[in-house]
Amino acid sequence: MSRKYRQWVKEYQDQAWTVARYILKDAQEAEDATQEAFVKLWDNQDDIDPKRVRAWLMKVTRNGCLDRLRRRKDNVEFDESYMTADDSGPMQGVANSETGEWLKRAIGSLKEPYRSLVVLRDVNQHSYEEVATMLELNLAQVKTYLHRARKQLREQLAEVRP
Amino acid sequence: MKEFEEKREDLINALMDGELSPADAELLKAEASDDLELARAIIEAYQLQQAMDGIRVERAPDSLRKRLRAIPGENRRKPAFSLLQPRWAMSLAAIPLVIIAVSLMRPDTPSASEIAQARHEMAIAFTYLDKAGVITGRKIESNVGQTIADAVTYSVDRAIESQSLSSKEKEA
Repeated sequence: MSRKYRQWVKEYQDQAWTVARYILKDAQEAEDATQEAFVKLWDNQDDIDPKRVRAWLMKVTRNGCLDRLRRRKDNVEFDESYMTADDSGPMQGVANSETGEWLKRAIGSLKEPYRSLVVLRDVNQHSYEEVATMLELNLAQVKTYLHRARKQLREQLAEVRP
Repeated sequence: MKEFEEKREDLINALMDGELSPADAELLKAEASDDLELARAIIEAYQLQQAMDGIRVERAPDSLRKRLRAIPGENRRKPAFSLLQPRWAMSLAAIPLVIIAVSLMRPDTPSASEIAQARHEMAIAFTYLDKAGVITGRKIESNVGQTIADAVTYSVDRAIESQSLSSKEKEA
């Protein structure tokens, strides 16, 4: 096994998995998408700038997930029923211990590219520049879209907080 | 109005990301003390950030880790050059096809002018051959005849000479 590939797997498997998990919301499919991205990484390892491997891998993972969403014709739009049908909806409130789980689902319910922006920047902690590269957006677009996503999340969070 | 809100969002997010200078941060906080809506937005942004801190990167399941480690064994990397690679095999296979195609494209029926030219050249050639044949025939006839005559003359002379020598020997 290539040493550098093994190192990349060690460093980035969790981040790629997290991106796939949030976008696809299906563990089995997220595993498949993450594996596909790493197969592409293995096949193209000589052509990728080592400094940009992480950005490259996250971009490929995300694009693979979006392709899967298109194929299954999933509704990427915000699911209104999610907030009211769930036990942790606004009328119920959420305890602090449940906030993390609630937030994960709230992020998963965002539209694209907001969802990917929040996962890549706020969950995976990539820099704005890296996120711009991954999503093929300019820096100003990344900030504008991310600010909208965060505003949406914090307003929802304010509603469900006891 | 929208522009104002987006600018305010930019400031709140810059505060959260630690990108605001201390002076600008103080200015924003001072503004928030007079603006309840802004104050609430900043508090909510802090709360969201705290919640975000609790949902860091998830650990990939063991089944996925195993699949990722198995990739090098299951996906042999392609050599840079090989005659067995499809693109090369296709190129090599295309060569005879190109030759056949070119040969098929060449005209195999001569034109009328080419036929006329050929006939003219053949007529000259036959005329030459006729003349050459006559001359050669005469030469052969004369050469062969002389040779035969020479041969006969030579043999008779030898026979007479030999007969003469034998008679002299007997007399002696």
